[in-house]
Amino acid sequence: MTAAWHVTDALALRYATGAAPEPDAWSVEKHVESCGPCAARVSAAVRTGPAGPALAALRTDLLNSVAPLPPAAREPDAVPAGRGPVAVLGRGARLWWAVGPALRGPWLAAVALVLTAAFALAHGAGVAGARGWLLAVSPLLPVAGVAVSYGRHADPLYEITAATPVGGLRLLLTRTAAVLALCLPVLTAGGALLPPVAGLPGAAAWLLPGLALTLGVLALGSFTGCRAAALTLGGGWLLAVAGPLLGGAGAAALAPYFSGPATQGAWAAAAVVCGGLLALRRRSFDHLEPR
Amino acid sequence: MNRPTTVAVTGLTVRHRRTVALDALDLSLTPGVHGLLGPNGAGKTSLIRVLATVAAPSAGRVELLGRDAARPADRTAIRRRLGYLPQEFGYYPGFTVREFVAYVAWLKEVPSERIPAAVERAVERVGLGGRIDARMRSLSGGMVRRAGIAQALVNEPDLLLLDEPTAGLDPEQRVEFRALLREVGERSTVVVSTHLVEDVAAACAEVTLVEAGRLAWRGTTAALTALGTDGEATGSATSPIERGYTSALRAHRERVGAAR
Repeated sequence: MTAAWHVTDALALRYATGAAPEPDAWSVEKHVESCGPCAARVSAAVRTGPAGPALAALRTDLLNSVAPLPPAAREPDAVPAGRGPVAVLGRGARLWWAVGPALRGPWLAAVALVLTAAFALAHGAGVAGARGWLLAVSPLLPVAGVAVSYGRHADPLYEITAATPVGGLRLLLTRTAAVLALCLPVLTAGGALLPPVAGLPGAAAWLLPGLALTLGVLALGSFTGCRAAALTLGGGWLLAVAGPLLGGAGAAALAPYFSGPATQGAWAAAAVVCGGLLALRRRSFDHLEPR
Repeated sequence: MNRPTTVAVTGLTVRHRRTVALDALDLSLTPGVHGLLGPNGAGKTSLIRVLATVAAPSAGRVELLGRDAARPADRTAIRRRLGYLPQEFGYYPGFTVREFVAYVAWLKEVPSERIPAAVERAVERVGLGGRIDARMRSLSGGMVRRAGIAQALVNEPDLLLLDEPTAGLDPEQRVEFRALLREVGERSTVVVSTHLVEDVAAACAEVTLVEAGRLAWRGTTAALTALGTDGEATGSATSPIERGYTSALRAHRERVGAAR
């Protein structure tokens, strides 16, 4: 085999100027059909060689003759490096698809906004209860993330995905996992960096309520659709925390929702119940959700 | 030639709250291109949705590609071999055509090493090859619909369901699209819902006429055309097949009226 044979610069130059003997020229032509680097080397030599001006003129003529077409029809949109045909199947790309619409859209901005606002309250405005505010708002973010990830209102591809083997609960759980994987660590770490509030538990105290509410949205969503479920449970949570937060007693009044093993145990139990209900209702995601 | 029955529907009933969209419909289809005709609101979309397994029937039995669509394991197997273009569908605007079609291929569990070639072939078949790396948001309405057809074709489906696929296509694209349908119909079962009678005349071997949730007429395209050639010219209907459509519909309404 001639696998080790490549076109040298000298041979490429001879080929470009037409000085290469015919058998050599044939070898070059055969070889560049299957060897990218040599093809590039020979092309470069030809472009700078005597045929260069003629080729350039031909290219200009060709471009002029297609000029009446709109620019978009002539050249595909610029594709950023790494997103071409190869990357389409890369692990990163598949992960990017799997996370669904939430992490590509305004939801991500909402998470960033909540964190920024909490830090601005604590350090800019000097509000002592900033950590409490973040604790109260945090469970809403995964709930909102699920609402914008799945269903006829959130996913433009919803009806197409519903007819595929991956669609339905599998897709919903994948996207929910992506939402949780982002906001659990980020919001907990953000809370931990804020000054502690007397009478309130640590920054991780929202994890079980957040998980229970998220699973609650999935379970209720099996009956009503995810958006309605998220609005119901998110709205309920908001009403529940609004009283203590705005009641004048300060953020410490949130303690009954978070503090103590009994409260956390109740959230854990609620999460388990919702998870069980979701398992029982798993087949409801096989068809389009109710309007 | 003995062609296998790929779609077998018996007693199919679909209710939306209090209205009945499909009323005890029986239908069996074999490979080939089938036109699903009917006035707006006749139940075409309800039928296509049940065939696409995205809607559950209120009653009746649906067997697709030899499997029972009511059984979860069978349903997943059906979905791998299904292509579906909904009447209305969206897209992620930031995706390119290639990414959009590849995403659906991934959802349909096409083996990942086959996806790049399958995507290029599907996009080529709908005539979007030159725009494969264009963003979805930069496409015209007709191009978006063709990308939608490409996603339905990407897994080389055995059952292809297209709900109003020619909406937004210009006449030339429509001609190319009908040729594509005939080509796919050589080995797959293709169901095309449309209200354009001329789509059926050009692309479909057989016609199913649905009216008010019931089967109004079934037969070959030639038989429907013959129905219009025999009958008297009615009003604005110009082509024989349009007259055939009108007279088949009228005959069905008379039968239903007489039965009441």
